Amino acid sequence: MLIALRELRRRPRRFAMATGALTLLTVLLLLLGGLLDGLYLGSTGAIRSQDADVFVYTREARSSFLRSRITPEVRDRVEHVDGVADSGGVGLTLLGARALGSAKIADVAVLGYERANSRVPSPPGPGEAWADQRLRADGVKVGRRIEVGPARTPLMVKGYVSDTSFLLQGALWVEPATWRALQRENRPDAAVADGVFQVLTVKALGGIEAKELADRIDTATAGATKSLTRSEAVLSLPGTRQQNSTFQGIIYVTFFVTALVIALFFALLTLERAGLYGVLKAVGASSRHLAAGLVTQAVAVAAIGSAAGAALTAALARGIPAEVPLQFTTGRSASVAVGIVAAAVLGAAVSFHRLLRIDPASAIGGAA
Amino acid sequence: MTTERTGRLAGTRLALREVRRGRARFGLLTGAVGLLAFLILFQQTILTSLVTQFVGAIRNQSAPVLVYGADARRNIEGSRVSDDTITTIRRVPGVARAEHIGEGTFTVTTHGTLHDAVLFGYEIGGLGAPTTLTSGRLPTRDGEAVASDLDRNDGFDIGDRIRVEPGGPEITVVGLARDLRFSVAPTLFLSYDTYSRARLAANPDATEVIPSLGAVTPEAGVSPGEIARRITDSIEGTEALDRGRAASESPGVSAVQQSLGIVLLLAYIVVTLVTGFFFMILTVQKAESLTLLRAVGAPGGYLVRALLAQVVTVVAGGVLVGVVLLTMTARAMQGGVAITVEPRRVLITAAVVLALSTLASITAARRVLRIEPVRATTGAGVEYS
Repeated sequence: MLIALRELRRRPRRFAMATGALTLLTVLLLLLGGLLDGLYLGSTGAIRSQDADVFVYTREARSSFLRSRITPEVRDRVEHVDGVADSGGVGLTLLGARALGSAKIADVAVLGYERANSRVPSPPGPGEAWADQRLRADGVKVGRRIEVGPARTPLMVKGYVSDTSFLLQGALWVEPATWRALQRENRPDAAVADGVFQVLTVKALGGIEAKELADRIDTATAGATKSLTRSEAVLSLPGTRQQNSTFQGIIYVTFFVTALVIALFFALLTLERAGLYGVLKAVGASSRHLAAGLVTQAVAVAAIGSAAGAALTAALARGIPAEVPLQFTTGRSASVAVGIVAAAVLGAAVSFHRLLRIDPASAIGGAA
Repeated sequence: MTTERTGRLAGTRLALREVRRGRARFGLLTGAVGLLAFLILFQQTILTSLVTQFVGAIRNQSAPVLVYGADARRNIEGSRVSDDTITTIRRVPGVARAEHIGEGTFTVTTHGTLHDAVLFGYEIGGLGAPTTLTSGRLPTRDGEAVASDLDRNDGFDIGDRIRVEPGGPEITVVGLARDLRFSVAPTLFLSYDTYSRARLAANPDATEVIPSLGAVTPEAGVSPGEIARRITDSIEGTEALDRGRAASESPGVSAVQQSLGIVLLLAYIVVTLVTGFFFMILTVQKAESLTLLRAVGAPGGYLVRALLAQVVTVVAGGVLVGVVLLTMTARAMQGGVAITVEPRRVLITAAVVLALSTLASITAARRVLRIEPVRATTGAGVEYS
């Protein structure tokens, strides 16, 4: 293993091409992962932030927030279902907003809600809003007014919340009456009557599975509702499921290509050093020892390549337009690094067979 | 046949014989190139399909200029342009005609199944009608619609009856049009009155139905771009765009294009590296044989041509693998984003991949040309690094 590391130090040029290739592959994987996470996190924050086990929509809404309308009568039936601990109504309107003094229009998702959750405190007072951190870039500041929609409905920003956006639009969390007034002024064709919400968020009593509760609710409402578990509600957002599967597919293919590049590189290296390996075997080095050296080099090249790739990605990310929804998470970066190293080890392992076949005796006579 | 030509053919035959005998190694590289080719073709195809299915309805309707509410930031779903504003638009110099268009996503039932569908309501006989009719006719009265032809097998074919839920109007499909989807959903173009009834049925608490867009056609001699500028400058709270810009600058389209563009670029770089690596390995592996061939009089050009013949074979095989994978994926994705295998795109991709692979094999070719025939008597003539 020491010989392997020493070779890396003494002849870095030999490994430069493989390291360069792995750097680029790391950039590709991090960008793909960053896009996937940016799209996913930026679209689903409002749903993920809810402290609920089940989300109840009207059946005809086909899990669309905007098309759903839960009336007080339906809500009453839901709340009487065995296993329901608590429920809260949520309503949503998508509008444009301007921070006072700013000409820039921000896309906002105004959410009228009843229950606090892990990321959003209890509803603020009338005319006030909790603003998602995403809106800071659009000039939204705590203690300052923003004007929402074509009717320029004023809202006072009471504080920030984070990771609560909806379909890449920064969220403004308001109390229900403020939301209804805003709807009537800016979206009269989407206005709802008092007591009507688009979605009910339901907390289950201890010991009840979310899926079971969802089924009980739909039965109790005689099919008027379609209830989803939390993960189903997240995936029901437009495009989320398709984005996930498409990007994951591309990511897996890229990991395979990574393994292939390393396999090809170490196949070349093994070929070229066949005589050297023959000599080492002739002086007593075991095949296992040599294989360990190969793996060590693969891991080192992968580690350097992924570190360089991460640095290059960070630099590139600065030049990518803000409208591209990139978000780099620690978990994703770590999984890419681990994946690259694992793929490199697998790729290097392809050369073990050739390594085993090297005959020490032929080291005396020529190439093995 | 001249001696020179015979020699060239012999070199190519030798190269292809080597490919046949080394099926495993060439198969591995062909598979790798095939996967990368699939990645490239898939992303190109999905990008084109996504964009068309996102904004096809905008591109393929008859109004040269669309007027949005400024707050909507070019997002039709968020745009509202009142009929009073449309009356004001008519008074802008250069406007020949201005009408309203309504747009919304609804739940509909067809053949007993619920679907999402986008409805575009326009004045029958006026601006906003689909322009890519492939069969049937345009609607002539309330309750009729033209549907996107991609969805004909899902209950949106001519003669199918579709009901807006809950309790909304019934619509009969009377025509089909190409590339008419919006937001990757089945799309119906129908009368504005039918659209309004659908809106009120979907939300009984609604107090009024406000149009989503203004549709404008300029007078002769005035360009759509110019009239769009005049409308935006003279009417507060509006943003007018010509049809092309309305489609290309729709939210999400440019973000998707930029994102996939970056990924595509990297995929091309990777395919270059992989091919270059492989042929370098092969050249080192064949060192003795190549040196011997040179020693018995094979010119360097002969060996390089053999190498290039193998590059072409591997790339052609790889692209074929990529096309097969793309075709299988296209079948599996029916119902979602529809993707199609386009011969022109395949040929362009194959040409680019071949050019890059040839470039990548230059390193190997240079090594081949530097072989010293005299080394046949002393040892291998090809070295790496």
